[in-house]
Amino acid sequence: MRLAADRLLGIVLIGLAAFVAVQAINLEVPFSYDPVGPRAFPLGLAILLAALASVLIVKPGTNEAWPGRQLTLKLLLVLATLLVYALLYTNLGFIITSMLAVASLSRIFGASWGKALLTGGLMAVVSYFLFAHALGISLPSGYWVEPFL
Amino acid sequence: MFDFLIHGFDVALSPLNLGLALLGALLGTLFGALPGIGPINGIAILMPLAYTLGLPAESALILLAAIYTGAEYGGRMSSILLNVPGDAGAVMTTLDGHPLAKKGLAGPALGLSAVSSFVGATIAIIGLTLFAPLLAEVAVMFGPAEFFALMVFAFASMSVMMGKDPVKTAIGAVLGVLIGTVGVDSSTGVLRYTFGLPELYDGIDFVVMIIGLFAISEILLMLEHANRKDGNDGLPPLGRVFVSLKEVMACKWTMGRSGLIGFIIGILPGTGASVGGAVAYTTEKRLSDKDNSFGTGNMRGLAAPEAANNASAVGSFVPMLTLGIPGSGTTAVLLGALMLYNITPGPMMFSERPEVAGGLIASLYIGNIVLLALNLPLAGVFARVLTIPRWVLVPGIAILAFVGVYQLHSNLAAIYLMLIIGVFGYLLRKLGFSLAPVILGYVLGGLMEQNLRRALSISGGDLGILWQSGISLGLWIAALALLILPWLLPKLWQAKTSKA
Repeated sequence: MRLAADRLLGIVLIGLAAFVAVQAINLEVPFSYDPVGPRAFPLGLAILLAALASVLIVKPGTNEAWPGRQLTLKLLLVLATLLVYALLYTNLGFIITSMLAVASLSRIFGASWGKALLTGGLMAVVSYFLFAHALGISLPSGYWVEPFL
Repeated sequence: MFDFLIHGFDVALSPLNLGLALLGALLGTLFGALPGIGPINGIAILMPLAYTLGLPAESALILLAAIYTGAEYGGRMSSILLNVPGDAGAVMTTLDGHPLAKKGLAGPALGLSAVSSFVGATIAIIGLTLFAPLLAEVAVMFGPAEFFALMVFAFASMSVMMGKDPVKTAIGAVLGVLIGTVGVDSSTGVLRYTFGLPELYDGIDFVVMIIGLFAISEILLMLEHANRKDGNDGLPPLGRVFVSLKEVMACKWTMGRSGLIGFIIGILPGTGASVGGAVAYTTEKRLSDKDNSFGTGNMRGLAAPEAANNASAVGSFVPMLTLGIPGSGTTAVLLGALMLYNITPGPMMFSERPEVAGGLIASLYIGNIVLLALNLPLAGVFARVLTIPRWVLVPGIAILAFVGVYQLHSNLAAIYLMLIIGVFGYLLRKLGFSLAPVILGYVLGGLMEQNLRRALSISGGDLGILWQSGISLGLWIAALALLILPWLLPKLWQAKTSKA
């Protein structure tokens, strides 16, 4: 299993190297005083990467344990939370989105509903005052919320 | 010759910088103590804040350096109390530190490790003061060809020393360099690997890169640790926190030796505190483990890696300040921070920006004393930090990451990119890569290409210039030796013993 993971990685990396090389060869240089140009360095890297990846395919190393199904689900949940946080960040503003994101993350990381909601509320408000007022950092106030303020 | 230091103390003793060194020492110890948040994470999270607060370059660097050295102090806490290294540099500390805690000697172990951290760091700071200006004078003679050879040496040294798997370390470095090639090519104006996205024209931003790579991937990794339920199960009783003079004196040679070893290893480009701690521990075991008690709670086995990892952290400033080549992943991040301020460290820094170089070194002296003063009496308070549950910690990191990236760019593209890089970093770590080579490659790659192209412009395309001078030839040979010897020596050894 872990042999397979490194071999797969090696193949993916060789693909990446090929992509890097093709992109580099296709770079159009209008004119240049520099004898090397922008192509050579990425090309060299692509060759090096392909060589190293081949070693990996021949002689795979070790991996960390991969997460099981339940953990993968939780990981996706964390990522979804962060993505939604980002999507709504400027629209709903820092305080509201942070409350939601913190509560959701707390909950995923094992807090009870009550604790999660409390952490969300406290952390969002405290950090808002800390960043916006004490440190003078501008945070998004929220396009959707602004008309009601 | 030491004018820079006198000037530096002027800078470091200003109220603002003194306060920042204090704050950095405190935060650094906390970051180091929290399992999972090492020096790089601490710096990654706070760097954008330092930048937007409009701190002058030397003040920002003082703050970040204090966090770095503080984290090397703090990393020992969870190593000793929970058998979980607080950061990579404190891995060896678990070997004798935790058995001591189990014996009911957690307090003295914390005390002794604070003192040996102090001794190790002090040796290295004095070494830095003496050695860095000398190296800077040598480095003035470096042209582009020499710098290119130096970077090849740095990458070779990194592949051999960093991480368990040299092939993966090298792949990580190449990936880092590739990420660094994204954006406008500075000498021809050609766009590389931007896929038509205007957000990528300036390249992948340094802050976005390190926060994604370290903070976001750490959040994902923490989920697994939370599931495994290590730590947080209560701390062992501390007992008396103060360590007796007699116990300290018993380890004085251990600390001295290990501090020196740590400093020298710290200077080698690409090797950080984890290597320093490991080498010092094995050396000390060979030298002074007469009754085979190393690993069962020997005070010397605790003092050695703690002195060494702090010394390595300081030692890694030497190549950063004098050559512009980071000695460790964390100094790579500091180097990036300096570049945000349009300061490119290198041989000229001691003459052109003495307030930055001198101020940093002077602040290390001050910070080190502050750290000892904080860590001896307050060990018990810092130990409490270990009991902060992850469901508070993780959302805190997420908020800081978002605020940090958003306020530098005020656009969401940067945040999405940060999340993508975070997933990339998580996958790399799962595949057995360490992230330090990636960040070193990312920081060094651009400089490497610039120097290569500059050198070849000078020679009109003749590759010979790359190894014409004695310095560059020496560096090429050293790099080659580093790559071949670890592979060759065991074979020679085997051949010899099989003959005998």
